[in-house]
Amino acid sequence: MPDGRAWISEQRFNRLVVGGVVLGFLLVVASGIAAMASLIQNQRHTQWVNHTYQVERRISRFRILLERTEAARRGTLLVEDQPQISATFARSLAELGPSLAEVARATGDNPRQQATLAAMVPLMAQEIAFLRRSAALVRSGQRELAIAEFRRTREAGLVRQLRAWSERLLAEEDRLLALRNMAQRGNQRTFVWTLTVAGLLLLGVGVGSVWIILHYTRNLAGSRAALRALNEDLEGAVRARTSELQRANDEIQRFAYIVSHDLRSPLVNVMGFTAELEAATGQLVKLVDQVEKQAPDLAIGDAKLAAREDLPEAIGFIRASTQKMDRLINAILRLSREGRRPISPEPLDMDALVHGIVDTLRHRVDELGADIVIAPNLPAITSDRLAVEQVLGNIVENALKYLQPGRPGWIEISGRREGARVTFTVADNGRGIDPRDHDRIFDLFRRSGMQDQPGEGIGLAHVRALAYRLGGTIAVDSTLGEGAAFRVNLPLAFSNEGRALS
Amino acid sequence: MNAHQPVGIVMVEDDEGHARLIEKNIRRAGISNDITHFTDGTRALDYLFNDRSGPAHNGPSLILLDLNLPDMSGTDILSRIKAEGSPLRRTPVVVLTTTDDKVEIQRCYDLGCNVYITKPVNYESFADAIRQLGLFLSVIQVPDVAEA
Repeated sequence: MPDGRAWISEQRFNRLVVGGVVLGFLLVVASGIAAMASLIQNQRHTQWVNHTYQVERRISRFRILLERTEAARRGTLLVEDQPQISATFARSLAELGPSLAEVARATGDNPRQQATLAAMVPLMAQEIAFLRRSAALVRSGQRELAIAEFRRTREAGLVRQLRAWSERLLAEEDRLLALRNMAQRGNQRTFVWTLTVAGLLLLGVGVGSVWIILHYTRNLAGSRAALRALNEDLEGAVRARTSELQRANDEIQRFAYIVSHDLRSPLVNVMGFTAELEAATGQLVKLVDQVEKQAPDLAIGDAKLAAREDLPEAIGFIRASTQKMDRLINAILRLSREGRRPISPEPLDMDALVHGIVDTLRHRVDELGADIVIAPNLPAITSDRLAVEQVLGNIVENALKYLQPGRPGWIEISGRREGARVTFTVADNGRGIDPRDHDRIFDLFRRSGMQDQPGEGIGLAHVRALAYRLGGTIAVDSTLGEGAAFRVNLPLAFSNEGRALS
Repeated sequence: MNAHQPVGIVMVEDDEGHARLIEKNIRRAGISNDITHFTDGTRALDYLFNDRSGPAHNGPSLILLDLNLPDMSGTDILSRIKAEGSPLRRTPVVVLTTTDDKVEIQRCYDLGCNVYITKPVNYESFADAIRQLGLFLSVIQVPDVAEA
């Protein structure tokens, strides 16, 4: 997430992608449904076409029957005693009526056909009556009469009319067939189109999905690589920073050692000659006393004052200052010597170590009525025992030293592992440290708050130097008057890597 | 033999003040032996090994040595004095310096230093130490170079 705007646009993009995918799939589903509907429609069309064919077949059958009946009738009129023709005539005659009825049934849904049929039915009945009469006449041997009637009925043109009507029936069915075929073709075209569109949509959604997957995969791989690089960078940065701190620390140690030596040398002189001055002053005082006794008239008021007050006072100040300076120099020397002590890492049981520290302070803790809580299962580390003891011991001692008067002391020591590092926290409810002094308290000879406790301002400087030497860091969180929490961050295992560079 | 050939004291100390304080306190202890003072290592070494009246050619002596010298480290002088085959190998050397660093003290004793005294800033103890050294000087027997 490089910045907010990019994040928002990415969010919008994601929404767009999801919307597109959903829309694509909806379209695919819709086109599938459309294809289905079109298929069902097609089936219905086919049914109708089939139906038309069937109707046509029935009409044709009727026409054939009509023609055959007519032909058989003529046969019976022309040739005598032809039982085969008579039988055909009778059979055809019998089927003629039902055949037309079938046509009527099949075209029950078409009013036009029904109208045609309505016209045909009385004609048909008439014709059938004629035919029956003709057959009866032939059977009874009145052939002449039958032929005469045939001529008469032929003039009436019933058969011709029926033919015409049935042609009309066929024509109507043909018209319907053409219509339905057209509809079916149209429907098939629609189906093909629907399928094509569905296919294209599917292709589009597929390509889109693949593109999105590739896009995300690429993004994912990219961010993973970036994350890895960042991680490595971070580790490298921590290592570089630590070794930098250690180098700087070593530099300071060497510097402090040299300075303290060279500072001590003149101090020896100052102290030495101050003592000489004191001794000389003693002689002077003796002389003044003698002069006062033996020659009280001599005006030596100034000399008396100098010998008895000014000189001792001056010497006293010089002494106090040099003594203080000596303490400070010794502190620097101790610090630098501590810094030159080789670090010998060993696995440390921090539970035991911290309990040990608290036990050595037990007397003071009881005296102050303070409460020290040690969290269970402190993470074990590999480091220098003495240095870790000094670091934690010093912080706990400070916590005891700077409790808030009138509030029962409470100190908690806890530890937490964070990857390859461990943070130990010493929290208290003491007087706290002004946030402005949070950096300052780690400087040599610097102290914070009320100066009502003995000390030179060395402890935390020492602690910080040690923490750096162990490849660690130290920080404080505190609100004035509410307590402080010192966090010591140390590597899980001390490594000499950083120091090899220095 | 010390009777007719008094022990000379050679003091190698770059700080004039220290030298003066040391001398004063030695005198206060009642030691009146000659004190030859050098403020740098080069001239001190030249005197010790080459000078006609120096200890290598002219009788027994005792060396007071400071470790912080402008031109060389006192330990260099010490190792030269105590080196194998040096005419001054048996000459007692008292190292008098500001360092109370354990490592440095050990190193000096390893090199053959006889006494190591830290110059304390507390003048009384310093004066005390020097006076005791003076008493010590009055009783020790210093080997004659000629006999070495």
